[in-house]
Amino acid sequence: MSTSSNAYGAGIMAKTGKAFADEYFSEENQTVHESNEVVLVLKKSDEINSVVHEILLGDRKADNPTLIVEDRAGYWWLKATGKIEVDCTEVSELLGKHFSVYDLLVDVSSTIGRAYTLGETFTITSELMGLDVKLQDLQTA
Amino acid sequence: MAISAATKAATDALAVNRAPVSVGAQEVHRWMQSFTWDFEKNRTKYSTKYKMANDTKEQFKLIAKEYARMESVKDERQFGSLQDVLTRVDAANRVHPKWNESMKVISNFLEVGEYNAIAATGMLWDSATAPEQKNGYLGQVLDEIRHTNQCGYINYYFAKQGQDAAGHNDARRTRAIGPLWKGMKRVFSDGFISGDAVECSINLQLVGEACFTNPLIVAVTEWASANGDEMTPTVFLSIETDELRHMANGYQTVVSIANDAAASKYLNTDLNNAFWTQQKYFTPVLGMMFEYGSHFKVEPWVKTWNRWVYEDWGGIWIGRLGKYGVQSPASLRDAKKDAYWAHHDLFMLAYALWPTGFFRLTLPTAEEAEWYEANYPGWYDMYGKVYEEWKARGCEDPNSGFLPLQWFIENNHPIYIDRVSQVPFCPSYCKGASTLRVLEFNGKKHSFSDQWGERMWLSEPERYECQNIFEQYEGRELSEVIAEGHGLRSDGKTLISQPHTNKDGKLWTLDDIKKINCVFSDPLKAL
Repeated sequence: MSTSSNAYGAGIMAKTGKAFADEYFSEENQTVHESNEVVLVLKKSDEINSVVHEILLGDRKADNPTLIVEDRAGYWWLKATGKIEVDCTEVSELLGKHFSVYDLLVDVSSTIGRAYTLGETFTITSELMGLDVKLQDLQTA
Repeated sequence: MAISAATKAATDALAVNRAPVSVGAQEVHRWMQSFTWDFEKNRTKYSTKYKMANDTKEQFKLIAKEYARMESVKDERQFGSLQDVLTRVDAANRVHPKWNESMKVISNFLEVGEYNAIAATGMLWDSATAPEQKNGYLGQVLDEIRHTNQCGYINYYFAKQGQDAAGHNDARRTRAIGPLWKGMKRVFSDGFISGDAVECSINLQLVGEACFTNPLIVAVTEWASANGDEMTPTVFLSIETDELRHMANGYQTVVSIANDAAASKYLNTDLNNAFWTQQKYFTPVLGMMFEYGSHFKVEPWVKTWNRWVYEDWGGIWIGRLGKYGVQSPASLRDAKKDAYWAHHDLFMLAYALWPTGFFRLTLPTAEEAEWYEANYPGWYDMYGKVYEEWKARGCEDPNSGFLPLQWFIENNHPIYIDRVSQVPFCPSYCKGASTLRVLEFNGKKHSFSDQWGERMWLSEPERYECQNIFEQYEGRELSEVIAEGHGLRSDGKTLISQPHTNKDGKLWTLDDIKKINCVFSDPLKAL
């Protein structure tokens, strides 16, 4: 079981019964607390399973040590600090066929954070896109 | 011959902004958005008090071609699975009978929400002025049409392929008598399509979709899988692949008004009202469906709520917007109390009123009672003991002559309906955040369960005039109302709803109800 604070059962979620209730109802938990995390839900499929195993938990694992991936039956649940990025040109190379960012979106089920595409890259970030950071248009030659 | 002004404008625009030679979707998208059409004379059904900026972006850069290709792949995979392998392995008959009943409620109700979201996003398309923002809303209109069909298909599939079709087919005919219908219409219909357009967006996109679709459409698939249902994950996770664009639309709605002075004046009130409106129904209903409508439990509902609603939606969406003046919803404390207890309160009332529903309910087994007590200390003394009494009095047996509703009457625990949310509550026997408040307006009494709904009602009482079942059927005998409200199966005598899911158990008929002589009365008349 992961000890990361981003794990599905981390923090208060590891508690049960009265211990859970005490923390849940504590005064400090009666307002929301700003979070720098992002959550991504990926519907399981042939391509997505490859993206998860071979890229996010494979070649690119070192890029994002805060990333946690958990198996929740029909979907993969991902949580990371800051951002999660998938470059679909890398996925194309892995799969041996053209795989655009819109092919990826076929199985991206939910996002908590600001998700966007730019070219063939999908990003979900904790940054406030459009407020703190400008959303970029595709630059062409 | 002189060319028209419109043709000249288009020609001039093309001269400085040449059409892309490539067919790259995002290049085409950028080119199309540069045609900044004039939407100054927009008109919409309900205007908004906010000014939406006209340079707002759409985060996914979609064009119609890519949209259609993407969605057709989703549908191909979904229907391919359903009609091929899942039918071949008789998947619909492998679902636990309790969960089969939950899906009667979840998919039928979500269908109504999706249908109303078509109109909601159409209204937002009318209100926005930025081309990219309009593009995002337009994509959502198309999505909502797809989702309405998908939800309808789930119930059709269960009815055709599975067990106990009554309730999966044509649940809507019971909408006048079922006590859960009107509350659902409040969140899924009125909240999405009536009033200020931006306020509707906050209800639909920022709260309904960014917050509650995660438990309703994502987490539900874990409960479904655990209870043998492979159809719901196949369809619902596909629905949710569109929701991320809707969440982005909701966020961009906020971005578009961030620099408007009205935002600092109204946004926190509108957000709190939307949060309370949505949570008041979703929190108890989803908790009830997950925990009481399943045999195999995934985790306590309060943990699901804490993760998706409090920590993630609260921290990652609302918390991050704090520096732009967005505050933690003032009603959060009461919402958290509801997330712990309100679904237990609601199940008790739903079971007491079971003959008016369109799905079957089951009282917790001894094993489940232990699970509830371990996860919600104090559950047994409040609820478990009462269920033991109801079982001892034969509440499942049509020959017993006992409806749990009688227990509330015998013990002087009147059941009221909250005027704003239309959710039933029993103020003298509950552990959620409900307390009784009664106000009079135009010679009529109105009951409220909380200060947040009461405040909304005080600001526009004419909006909340929906009659509840106690007012509508006062003085009428229950079996007569069930027959009139289409609560019967195709044999014309057996109730759709039943107080058990035992396939060998006897089913209640209209005659069984009639001999109890239960007559509706309006509790507000007694005050």
